Amino acid sequence: MPVEVRIPTVFRRFTGDRSVVEVGPGTIAEVIDQLEAQHPGFREQIITSEGELHRFVNIYVNDEDARYLEKLDTKVDEGDTISLLPSVAGG
Amino acid sequence: MTDTLYFSKEHASEMIEHCLQGRPNEACGVVALDGGRVQRVVPMTNAAQSPVRYVLDSREQIVCVQLERDGFDWAVFHSHTRTEAYPSPTDVREAREPRPYIIVSLADSKPVVRAFRIVKDDYLNDREGRIVEVPVHVEG
Repeated sequence: MPVEVRIPTVFRRFTGDRSVVEVGPGTIAEVIDQLEAQHPGFREQIITSEGELHRFVNIYVNDEDARYLEKLDTKVDEGDTISLLPSVAGG
Repeated sequence: MTDTLYFSKEHASEMIEHCLQGRPNEACGVVALDGGRVQRVVPMTNAAQSPVRYVLDSREQIVCVQLERDGFDWAVFHSHTRTEAYPSPTDVREAREPRPYIIVSLADSKPVVRAFRIVKDDYLNDREGRIVEVPVHVEG
């Protein structure tokens, strides 16, 4: 079973309007590389120029916040679901 | 997209109570929506812990994915501890979605609840946006 990546509305312009994209297993960093290969321009929305997860984006692996797992090194197995969510903030 | 948000008296009270409890800091959370009707209030932690800024706690924000999986839409609420129930420049700048933003003002003795969409051409890059009010109706 592939890894399912759920894409929020704000990023769907990079995925041809798809709300779900399938990739193979690996680390989150490798999954993002796969997303970039399928949908160029996607990576820079999630990863900063320093190679860190952008603070405006949250990544969840099976409902767990990747920042509290191994961040970009978090392993993602077949059948797992990755959910991307823009952070919500204001004042 | 909904034109009016409908709260039961109980849900409105629950949301307002969470905002009052959060003082002196801004409080925040989400509401689950079925059409325009609030089905559930989800009080959340303000990770910014500030009287002038809120950030939905990233771990708690997974509830938004779960709500969508369960077929609900959702809207964000947050409080303004001293200013009116109207989007601040920060609210406009940080808005990254077309969904309604509910604002609870605690400036006066009687809390005020209003909601708005921040309309942008490019939610990723635009810092400016057009503020469009979404009527809020509290039943009961």
